This record gives sequence, structure tokens and C-alpha cells, in this order.
Amino acid sequence: MKNKLFEKYFVFSPYFWLVLFFFIPLAIIFKISISVSEWGMPPYQDIFLFDNGFKINTTFENYVYIFSDYYYIGSFVNSLILALISTFFCLLIGFPLAFYIATSNIRLRNILLVLVVIPFWSSFLLRVYAWKIILQNNGILNVILLNLGITSEPLQLLYNQYAVIMGIVYTYLPLMILPLYGYLNKFDLNLIEASKDLGLNRIKTFFKVILPLSVPGIVAGSLLVFIPVVGEFIIPEMLGGSDRLYYGKILWEEFFVNRNWPGASALALSGIIILVLPIVIFQILYSRWSQKNEI
Amino acid sequence: MDNNFLVIENISKSFGDNKVLENINLNISKSEFFGLLGSSGSGKTTLLRILGGFEKPDTGRVMLDGTDITNLEPFERPLNYMFQSYALFPHLNVFNNLAFGIKENFTQKEIEINVRNIAELLSIEHLLNRRIKQLSGGEQQRVALGRCLIKKPKLLLLDEPLAALDKKLRSKTQLELTTLQKKLKITFVFVTHDQEEAMSLSDRMAIMKNGLILECSSPEEIYENPKSLFTANFIGIANIIEIYKKGENFYSDDLGINFKLNKELKNTKTNILLRPEKIKIQSINNLKTSSFNSFSGEILEKSYLGSFTRYEIKIKNMIISVLDQNFNSNTNYNFPKGEKVICSWESESIKVLED
Repeated sequence: MKNKLFEKYFVFSPYFWLVLFFFIPLAIIFKISISVSEWGMPPYQDIFLFDNGFKINTTFENYVYIFSDYYYIGSFVNSLILALISTFFCLLIGFPLAFYIATSNIRLRNILLVLVVIPFWSSFLLRVYAWKIILQNNGILNVILLNLGITSEPLQLLYNQYAVIMGIVYTYLPLMILPLYGYLNKFDLNLIEASKDLGLNRIKTFFKVILPLSVPGIVAGSLLVFIPVVGEFIIPEMLGGSDRLYYGKILWEEFFVNRNWPGASALALSGIIILVLPIVIFQILYSRWSQKNEI
Repeated sequence: MDNNFLVIENISKSFGDNKVLENINLNISKSEFFGLLGSSGSGKTTLLRILGGFEKPDTGRVMLDGTDITNLEPFERPLNYMFQSYALFPHLNVFNNLAFGIKENFTQKEIEINVRNIAELLSIEHLLNRRIKQLSGGEQQRVALGRCLIKKPKLLLLDEPLAALDKKLRSKTQLELTTLQKKLKITFVFVTHDQEEAMSLSDRMAIMKNGLILECSSPEEIYENPKSLFTANFIGIANIIEIYKKGENFYSDDLGINFKLNKELKNTKTNILLRPEKIKIQSINNLKTSSFNSFSGEILEKSYLGSFTRYEIKIKNMIISVLDQNFNSNTNYNFPKGEKVICSWESESIKVLED
């Protein structure tokens, strides 16, 4: 009987993990987000006051503050656009690569997969910093361009949104390639030949056969890139300029520079809700659709 | 009959150092049901894939109905290919699988009519709204066939068309396939490793081995008069006996008996083929062995096959297979194990193997 009990709790251990490391921190953030801010340590008041009898001391001011200032909403919109563009480019580069890897012979396939994964073994910070060296005014790229006579003076490649997009696409590409590869690996190549045999050329075969059958991989890879990019802080900080503010940076500043913990918490929670709700709804609809279509 | 409907000329193909096809030449007539028979690695599937346009030959060319199709892409060829795995599109239902190849050039109404017609022809009208995963193997085979036939191809290529079906369904489908082919008068070229399948489907068939065509003829001709030792062994059961010239007749050391042939031989030493059903088996009481084309032996093994009984008869160093038709139900034909019997055959039944 004791064993049974153990088994029962063992099965639930992922939920304990989820509660301990996800729901409790989330609850704490929620608590801070509805607290009244003040100067001090911690920089907010308790939500339950007992000194003059029991009193609940909460406010939604922080949320009102965030949603009434376009500074915050705008940065969130900027981050969403950045995530969309980056995901699109990751898909554009990642799909042909994943397809090529999945259809090449087993030896070449393993080598290519290792090449995809290798960057993960070096420091993320160093890799982004390396791009700084490549893109800066007297960096490798500019030196080459100058020597080839393509430009007469160094181009400003760094510290703008394009450098940010490039850095993100570079960093997140494996997260797109690997799930796509996982799906394309199982792809029956006879289906491509059958499509061609039935009269469809390469482009039509791609859109009528390969693409519809890769939807699960595309969805998985895109979500894996899109979600973390919305909150991405380091890459815009290192490669970006002052032309655009992003959500992750604003959040950091609100918390550490302005020491507005309740405001930062409200911002974080709003971001999660705005981002997660549509994705959850999408996932439910998508799983229904894919069950119906048996992909 | 137009003997040059499909002409395969000097086709060779290598993958790396591996020579898969060597100088293949074949002429296939319009409306012919043609079989390529060989074991795995014989190059038969590669040849079919070259016809389908999925592989490019190193040398040679393929002519279909007077036009050179060697360098055409699969989607430019007026032919269709039925895959062994059927390769049906899992994201489409049966209707859309059937309509896949005609969607481009037809109106919605024409597509409807065409799909209905082909579904009726193959009796799969009731499956049109099903998903591919909901179909049995036999149903999938029909959809795969229908998806090709709807395009009204000049030539249909079939890769092991019946291999994925269970045995009972296979013989039923075999019959349907030949009936369908005769009705539609489309040229069929198919690949198989199953000799029974090849014999029952083909008008003519080619035996392939190591990238070469050993023989190409009707199933009857290949069974009755095989030219090579390989073919004789490959198709049906074969008793192969080595004989050499001795005086007037020929002699076999293995059997220790004389053979009388009704034709002259080029070589003094050769292999002959004796099919098991050509050998007459009789009780030793009835008669004596004659001085040629007959021997007496002992029944070593016996298996009852319903319409036939197969005996393995030992004589000297050899075991000879004999198929005896179970002609009537009394017992004078049914010899027990260990019984001494006399076997004899007509001299016309002896087939000389050239190599």
C-alpha cells in the first residue's frame, strides 16, 4: 500500500515542480503587482495590514499606469513585431536547411546536425559579442567592404534594429531547425515523387504536399522562437541602438533602474497574459484541426 | 501490333562503383502487360524508376510513343507510377487524392465527374470522404491505382503492385488488375520479385539478374523453354541434370541412365531441364525400365498438395522432383514413402539449357 502511495505522488511530481517553480513565483509577482509602491526595502507595502485591525491594502493603479502610457504598450508592440520578423526569417532559412538535413544520407545528416547544435556549446553572450566585432565600424565586414571598394566609408551596421533581427535570427535558428528536422525526418519522400508523377512541378509540389505536411513542425519551431524573442533582453541591449525600445529592456529598467517593483510586476504579468492567452487558444484550435486532418 | 510503343535503348546506370543496369534493351508493345521479374538487387526497380523519370540513366534513351522522354522531368511525362507503398497523401481524403493530378487542368464539375467515374470503375465510390488512414490495404491499392488512371496515362508503371496485400486478397486483385488492363488497353509495366505474380499478370516478361536482362518472352515460353540455367531454376521447380555425349545417346553420371534427345546438340556436354510435371510416375510392378529416358528410384519424401502430390525421388546421387496430378481418387497413383517406382518422360520434355 505504501508503494502505491509513492507511485501516486511520483506521478504527480511534474505538477509539484510546476507549482513550485511556476505558479508560486507567478503568484508572488501577482501579489507585488497589486501592491502599493513606496520608498524602502522592499519597495512596496504589504497587501494585508494588521496594525489598525485587518485591512486589505491593494491597488490596480500599476496596471492603469502601464496601459495608459504608450511607452510601455509601444515597447511591447515593438517586441511583438521583432518576434514576428525574426520568426519569419528563422523559418525562411531554417526550413530549407532542415529539409536538406532530413533528406541527406545518414553520415552527412549527423555531421550537419552537429554543426547546427555546436553553437549551443559556447557562451551565448560571447556569440552575440562576436557579432559586435564583425559588425562594428572597423569590424571585419566593413574592412572587407572598404577594401573591395563597395563602400567609400564604413557602414553603420551595428546599434540598429536590423542588427538586432540578425542577432536574434542567428541565435534562435537552431530552435527552428531542430523541431522542423524532427518532423521532416519522418517525411515519406515517395510523396514528393508521387506529386511530381501526377504532374505537379517542384514549386507546386512544395505548396501542395511538403508544406501542408510540415505544419506541425513549422508550428512547433515558430512557437519555440517567437515566445522567447518577445522577452529577449540581451541581444537588443548589445546589438540594438536607441531607435527602438523593446519590452525586455523596459522591464529590466523598470525593475532595476526605477525600482518600481509593482509596476514591473504588472508589466511582466500583462505581457504573459497578452502573449500566452492567444497561444493557448491557438494551440487548442490547432490540436482540434490537426486531429481532424490526422497530420 | 505496334512493337515500338515503348523502346528502351542501351540503358546503363551506376550508383558510384555499383553497376545497377548494363546496356538494357527492351521493346514493349502498346496495350501490353509487361513484367520485370528479378530478385532484390537485380536492377528492376531502378529500371522502372528511370522510366518514371525519378532517375536519369548514364547512357541510352527511352522512347515512348515516338518521342524521346529520357530527359523529361516526371511531371512532364505522359505516364504514371504506382508506388509500392502507394504514397497516398495523408493530409487529403480519398476524393482529393484521386483528384490530385487533374485539379490543375479541369473545372470543379469535370473533376467531380472524373473522380466519380474512376471510383465507380474501381468500386470505391463509398470511400470518397474517408481519410487515407481509415482505409484497408486493398482499398489503398485501389485509390493509388485510381489516382494514376484518372490521368489517362499512355503508360502505367507499377512497383510491386500486390506486395503489400495479404495472400488471399492478392490473387483476387491479380485477376482484377488483368481484367482492368485489358479493358482500358493502357500499357502496364510492373516490377515484381514474385514469379507467380509475374507469370499470372504478364503478357510478356523479362527476367533480370545483376543489371542484365537474361530472357524476355511470354511466361509459357520462359517456363517451358528457358534458355539459361538461372531462369530454369528461378521459375518454377526444376530438375537440372548434366549430360554428355556417349555413343548414339547421352549419359548422366548422376543418374546413371541414358537420355535420348530429339535434336542434335552443339556441345558434347550440357545441362538439361526436366520439369517435375513432365515426369510420369508408375508402380514398379507394371513394367520394366526402358534403356533410355526412364529410371527406377525410391520415394524419399512426399507432400500432398491437393490437386497434385509432390514426390522427391532418390536415384543414385540425385534427388528428382516429380509432380503427379491427383487424377482420380483411387490409390494406384498414391505411392507411399520408401516405395520403388519407375519414372519416365517423353524426349520432347527434355529442354537443353544453352548456358
